[in-house]
Amino acid sequence: MTGEFVAFFILSLLTIGGAVFMISFTRVVHMVISLGITFISIAGLFVLVGAEFVGVAQVLVYSGAISILMLFGIMLTKHDAYDEGTGRKWKNRFILLFVALVFALLFWGIQNTAWPASPPPAASGVSNAKEIGLVVFTEYVIPFELVSVLLLVALIGAIIMAKKEGDNE
Amino acid sequence: MDTLLHYAWLIPLFPLLAFIVIVSFGRQLKEGASLVGIVLTAVSFGIAALIFWERFQGGAADYKFVVDWLQVGDIVINMGYEVNQLNAMMLVIVTLVSLLVQIYSRGYMHGDDRFPVFYQYLALFTFSMLGLVISPNLLQVYIFWELVGVCSFLLVGYYFFKPEAKAAAKKAFIVTRVGDLGLFIGICLLFWWTGSFEYDQIFESVALGRLEPWMVTLAAILIFVGAVGKSGQFPLHTWLPDAMEGPTPVSALIHAATMVAAGVYLVAATYPVFIASETALTVVAYVGGFTAIFAASIGLTQRDIKRVLAYSTVSQLGYMMMALGVAGAAGYVAGSFHLMTHAFFKALLFLGAGSVIHAVHTQDVFEMGGLWKKMPITALTFLIGCLAIAGIFPFAGFWSKEAILGAVYGAHRYDLLVLALVAAFFTAFYMFRLYFLTFTGEARGKHEAHESPSVMTGPLLVLAFLAIVAGFVNTPYAPLLTDWLLASPTGDTIASVFGEGSEHAAAWLQVLALAISFLGILLAYLMYGRKSIPADSIPETLPWLYRLSYRKYYVDELYHYVFVRPLGWLGVFLNAFDKYIIDGLVGLTAKITQGIGALHARVQSGQMQSYGAMVLFGLLLLIVAISLTAQGGGFFGFGH
Amino acid sequence: MTVSITSYLLVALILFCVGLYGALTKRNAVVVLLSIELMLNAVNINLVAFSKYGLYPSVSGQIFTLFSMTVAAAEVALGLAILIAFYRNKATVNVDEMDEMKR
Repeated sequence: MTGEFVAFFILSLLTIGGAVFMISFTRVVHMVISLGITFISIAGLFVLVGAEFVGVAQVLVYSGAISILMLFGIMLTKHDAYDEGTGRKWKNRFILLFVALVFALLFWGIQNTAWPASPPPAASGVSNAKEIGLVVFTEYVIPFELVSVLLLVALIGAIIMAKKEGDNE
Repeated sequence: MDTLLHYAWLIPLFPLLAFIVIVSFGRQLKEGASLVGIVLTAVSFGIAALIFWERFQGGAADYKFVVDWLQVGDIVINMGYEVNQLNAMMLVIVTLVSLLVQIYSRGYMHGDDRFPVFYQYLALFTFSMLGLVISPNLLQVYIFWELVGVCSFLLVGYYFFKPEAKAAAKKAFIVTRVGDLGLFIGICLLFWWTGSFEYDQIFESVALGRLEPWMVTLAAILIFVGAVGKSGQFPLHTWLPDAMEGPTPVSALIHAATMVAAGVYLVAATYPVFIASETALTVVAYVGGFTAIFAASIGLTQRDIKRVLAYSTVSQLGYMMMALGVAGAAGYVAGSFHLMTHAFFKALLFLGAGSVIHAVHTQDVFEMGGLWKKMPITALTFLIGCLAIAGIFPFAGFWSKEAILGAVYGAHRYDLLVLALVAAFFTAFYMFRLYFLTFTGEARGKHEAHESPSVMTGPLLVLAFLAIVAGFVNTPYAPLLTDWLLASPTGDTIASVFGEGSEHAAAWLQVLALAISFLGILLAYLMYGRKSIPADSIPETLPWLYRLSYRKYYVDELYHYVFVRPLGWLGVFLNAFDKYIIDGLVGLTAKITQGIGALHARVQSGQMQSYGAMVLFGLLLLIVAISLTAQGGGFFGFGH
Repeated sequence: MTVSITSYLLVALILFCVGLYGALTKRNAVVVLLSIELMLNAVNINLVAFSKYGLYPSVSGQIFTLFSMTVAAAEVALGLAILIAFYRNKATVNVDEMDEMKR
C-alpha cells in the first residue's frame, strides 16, 4: 500500500465519481460543477504520473477556460425543466447496453494484452516543463506553429459563427 | 396465243394502281377519282374478257405461274397466279360488275364529301377480289380473303358517323371472322396433311387417297365454314342484311355479285376435296337448301327494299351451295352458272333499288309507289331483274335455276327439291311484292321523284341486257358452259367420281318450276298489285308466323344473348382483372419498394445522436470481426 | 499493489464510456458537448499513461496531450459558437429538435 497507490485510488475515485454525477444530475449547472471536479482530479492524476506541466495545463485550460465557457453557453441559452422525452427511455437503455458492450470489449482487451514491464525512464535532471520545451521546440516545432494557426482560425471562426446576423458592418 | 394468259397477273394490278393513285391524289382529283377507277377497271375488264375469250375458244391449257416466296425448312411456299376455266369466268364477272358499279357510283355518290375515299375502297376491293380469284394456293386465297373482308368492313362502315353503320361494319367483320377461323384451320390442316398449300398438289394428294376419309371430310367442312361466313349462309347470315347500311353501289358490288360469291367460288375451286367426301357434300347441300328457304321466308315480310334484296341474296347463295352439294357434274356446273347469272341480275336489282332510293330518299317500300311513270328506265330494268330472279323463261335466271333443279332431281334428293321449289315460290312472291309496292299503285312517297341520270341508268341497261342473254350460254339445247367448265381438271375429277355427262332438268320439271314462279307472281299481284286479297290476311290470322318472319326468326336476338352478352361480361371481367390484379400487382411492387424506402428513410432522422449510435454499433462490429478473424490470433490475444 | 498501466487505462476507459453514454443520450446540446470533453480527457489520460508506462516511454505522449488539449479548447469554442448561433435561430438547445439534416 504505497502512497502512490492511495493517491491514485482517491484521485481516480474523484474522477469517476465526478463523471458519473455529471451524467446523473438533472440541472445543467450542477453538471458543469461536477465536471470541473473531474477535470481537477485528472490534473492530479497527471501529476501522479509525473507530467506536471500537463497537469497544470489541464487545470488552466479545462477547469479554467472550458468550464467557464460551458457556463457561458448555459447562461446564454434557455434550459427547460429537465424531463425525458417520450420514447427516450428505451433508446437510452439501448445505448447503455451498447456502451456496456464497448466497455466489456475494451476491458477484456486491456486485460489480455501483455503489457511489457519496461522500466520507467531514468529521471532526467531537468524539470518536466523544460523537458517538454526541449522536445517541442526541436522536434515538434511545426505542429506547434500549426496549432497556433489553428487557434487563430478557431478564434475568428467562433467570432463569425456567434455574430448576430443582419448586422451591417 | 398462250401469251395473253401470261398477262393475267395484270388484271388485279390495274385496280391496285387505281387505289394507289386515288389515295395519293384523291384530294386533288375529287370527282375525277371516279374516272381513274373507271378507266383502270375498264382496262382490267378488257384483259379479262380477252383471256376469257381465249379460253373459251378452247384448247388453251390451264396456266399457272408461281414464284418462291417463303422457305421454311424443306417446304417452299409460293405466290403466283393461275388461270383456269372457273377463274376466267370469275375474272370477267368481277371486273364487269365492278366497272358498271363504278360508273353508276359516279352518279349515285355525286356530291358526297368523301367521294375519292369511296373509289379508293372500291378499287382496293376489286384488287382483292381479283387476287383471290387467281390465287393458285390456299394461303394466297386466305390473304385475299381477309383483304376482301377488310374492304367490306370499310365500305359497309362508309357512313361511319351513323352508329348503325358502325355496328353493321363491325358485325360484318366479326361474323365473317368466325367463318374465316374455320377456313384457316381447314387450310392449316390440309397443309399439315398434304404438305402443301397449292391446289394441284392438294387435289393430287386427295385423289391418291393419301388422306384418311375423316381428314378429308373435316378439311372440306372447315373450308365450307369459311364459305358459310363469307356467303352468309345459315347460321352466319346475320351480317348480310345489316350490311345494307353501306351505300347501295357497295351492296350491289360486294354483297350481291362478288364478295359473297367468294364463298361459292371457294367451294367450287376446291371441289375435288369435297367430292372425296360424301359427308361434306351432304352438309353443303343441306346447309344451302335450308338457307335458301330460311332466308326466303324472312324476305316475305321485310319493309326495307335493300333488306329484301339482301335476304334474296342469301337465299340464292343457298341455292348455289345446294347445287354444289348435290354433286355431280350437273351440280358443279349449275352452281357456277347460277353464280354468274345471279351476279348480273342481283347487281341489276341493287342498282335499280339504289336508283329508286336516290329518287325518293327512303328505303321503306310502304312509302314508295307509282314510280313506274316517273322512272321508266329504272322500272323496266328492275322488272327484268325480277323476272330473271323469279326464273321466268327466257331470262337468265330461268336457265340457271332449272339447271340447279335438274341437278338436285338428278341426284335423287327429293327433299331438297321440295325445299328448292318452295323457296322458288317465295322468291317470286317477295320479288314481285317488292316490285308492285315500289313501282305500281299510287305514289305514297312525299318526294317528287324523277328518273336518275344516265350515268346511273346506263349500267342498269347493260345489266338488264346481260340478265336477259346471259342464260343462253347454257341451255339444255346448247350446253356451252357445261362443256367448257367440265373440260378442266376439276371436271375430270368429277367425271371420275360421278360418271360422265350432266343432266338437265326434264321438261316436266322445267314447266313445274315455271308454273310455281307464275303462281308466286300471281299471288303478289293479287295482294299488292290489285289488292284483291288483303295483304294483312296472314298477319291477321297467324300473327305469330308473321312475327317470326318479320323478326328474322329472332336469330340476331339469340346470338346477342348467347354470344355477345357473355363476351361482354368476359370483357368486363378481364378488364377488372387487368385493372385490379395486374395493375394492382405492379402498384403493389411499387408500394413495397416505396415502403421499404420510407422505412429506411426514417433512419435519416437528422438526430446526431442516432447517427453516433449507429457509428458506434458499426465500430463494435468491426472490432469484433477483426478480432475474430485477424491473422496471428487477433490483437485481443487469442493466440496466447 | 502497484499502480500499473492497466489501472490508468481502466480509469480512462470508464471515463470514456461515461462520456460516450452522455454524448449519445443527453437531450441538452450543452451537455453533449460536456460529454465530448469528457471523452477527450479520457484520451489524454491514456496518452500520459503511455508516456510513462508504455512500450516506448518518452515525453512525446505528454506533448501529444498538450496538442490534444489545444484542439479540444478550439473545438469547444467553436462548438459553443455554433450552438449559440443555432439557439438564436431555433430558440432551443434540445437535440431532438435539431434535425435539419433529415432526409
